[in-house]
Amino acid sequence: MADNGGADPVNNNNNTTVALEGTIIKVTVKTPKDKEEIAISEDASVTQFKEEISRRFKAKQDQLVLIFAGKILKDGDSLNQHGIKDGLTVHLVIKTAHKAGDGASSSSSGTTQVGSSSGNSSGPSSAAHPSTVGSTGGPASAPPQTPNLLTGFGGLSSLSSMGMGSANFMELQQQMQSQLMSNPEMLSQIMENPLVQNMMSNPDLMRQMIVANPQMQQLMERNPEISHMLNNPELMRQTMELARNPAMMQEMMRNQDRALSNLESIPGGYNALRRMYTDIQEPMFSAARDQFGNNPFSALGGNSDGGVQPSRTENREPLPNPWGSTNPSEGGGGTGTTGSSTTGSTTPSVSNPLGVNSASLGNGMFSSPGMQSLMQQISENPQLMQNMLSAPYMRSIMQSLAQNPDMASQNPASSPSAGENPAQQLMMQQMLQMFAGGNSSSQTPEVQFQQQLEQLGAMGFINREANLQALIATGGDVNAAIERLLGSQPS
Amino acid sequence: IPACRTPGVKVPRNFRLLEELEEGQKGVGDGTVSWGLEDDEDIMLTRWTGMIIGPPRTIYENRMYSLKVECGPRYPESPPFVRFVTKINLNGVHNSNGVVDTRAVAALAKWQNSYSIRVVLQELRRLMMCKENMKLPQPPEGQLFSN
Repeated sequence: MADNGGADPVNNNNNTTVALEGTIIKVTVKTPKDKEEIAISEDASVTQFKEEISRRFKAKQDQLVLIFAGKILKDGDSLNQHGIKDGLTVHLVIKTAHKAGDGASSSSSGTTQVGSSSGNSSGPSSAAHPSTVGSTGGPASAPPQTPNLLTGFGGLSSLSSMGMGSANFMELQQQMQSQLMSNPEMLSQIMENPLVQNMMSNPDLMRQMIVANPQMQQLMERNPEISHMLNNPELMRQTMELARNPAMMQEMMRNQDRALSNLESIPGGYNALRRMYTDIQEPMFSAARDQFGNNPFSALGGNSDGGVQPSRTENREPLPNPWGSTNPSEGGGGTGTTGSSTTGSTTPSVSNPLGVNSASLGNGMFSSPGMQSLMQQISENPQLMQNMLSAPYMRSIMQSLAQNPDMASQNPASSPSAGENPAQQLMMQQMLQMFAGGNSSSQTPEVQFQQQLEQLGAMGFINREANLQALIATGGDVNAAIERLLGSQPS
Repeated sequence: IPACRTPGVKVPRNFRLLEELEEGQKGVGDGTVSWGLEDDEDIMLTRWTGMIIGPPRTIYENRMYSLKVECGPRYPESPPFVRFVTKINLNGVHNSNGVVDTRAVAALAKWQNSYSIRVVLQELRRLMMCKENMKLPQPPEGQLFSN
């Protein structure tokens, strides 16, 4: 019959034209999504069949895998050989270009990692896990224009919103960020910085910073829970407490991990968690991620085969424990995080909803070259100074600076880059003085240093003006002021 | 199709298997599994090959798993004997030879004569989507179990 006309299926392979000898049969080609009826000669080879299919399904021939009756049809075979006749169905699988199997898991782990601390200037993101971030990890450098969560700190964001948003400014933030991210030591130093701690003890300030970030705002719109959380001073305070205390944070996280695994075992709980994760945490993470380039969870999750790490989010359900962690997670990510949650990366947790990274605030601020250039800019532009000073955050900073003159002077002095450059150091000091001096909105220096003035007076320094100047210069430090006064007295 | 679904009626083995053969060729089902006689000349209709398309969003995605299904003389009263040919890491499948543990697969453990090869294959595919399986690390594609 026509069988012989087809000769060996092997020889027939290279014919590009469908052999029209022999009868045409209609074979249904079925994919999981689609179904097409293809007319082909019954003597055709699998290759020819695939050509036809690739045309119809708009896929490349080498992406096609045909299955009939439990067997894969190889290119060298003929349809006849497999018994494919009119009216029968062949299954088709179109292979997608990338290995979805591996890709998917690692990308899901990638998405979870977040520069965390959507809250505050934390360049959190596991400095120690750059390698595990692996696949998607994320772009290290965000474009200069990206508003930066770091900006909240030091009122820099207010500066940008005041029209300062020059590219230079943004770069500065980026630099700070990358510095923080790349230097774990810095992170831990930052934590010890009393300035930082001061700031963090002020819930209003924190809140302002967080809210100022446009992405957070977006997030808040989408998730009212988050704004609710921000508005809760108690919560903020706890968050900050946590952030200040890495040990405490670890404790909390461990608790959450435990709670998490418990929740997983509740029937239906897993799904609920998953949902919550996708509803709450992901947007948060993505928002923060843009700024920090990657999601700490992916690093953490790297070990568990790309399992999504438990991301903490605020509890939506009325659990008795206000920190009631309903931490969504996929797969047993729970244990994975505990160990690795420490280094620099802040996994936002229920108790630390914005993932404020204790280790990542502030200190680097002064020592980064970017900051230095900012200082320069500022000193060149008095208007800028004015603006900066009037920012609400700035006031708090100034207040804390004023209250801790030692620390304030330590800061610029200890920052290595400042140390190398005496000019910059001087500038820093001037700036600080200006801060202290500019803090006239709350109280005049005279009032502020009332007590110190009295002390100086009692010691015999009767030149009130000079005293005041000295106090302003030293930020209220009586001893330092005395030295100044003595030094300036004609011998 | 004969009224073989009426409980209590025992359909002769060959009738059943021929029916399953036809279904396999016609692509009955959702297109995610396929089955057919291993050898067209096999008049006893004993040895079958099956194919499972790895479910999406699992580690098995985009892979095709080949299986051997053996329907013994007491089929369909007794469950078939199923073995993976393509290497797979799945709970219930022996790592050494790909034999599917009857106790691990519900369809096999609680076999009924109304079940079929298709049911078994679909069950195995469902297992791949289980939380405990969907992320198991897999051997590189294309490896086969050694007999």
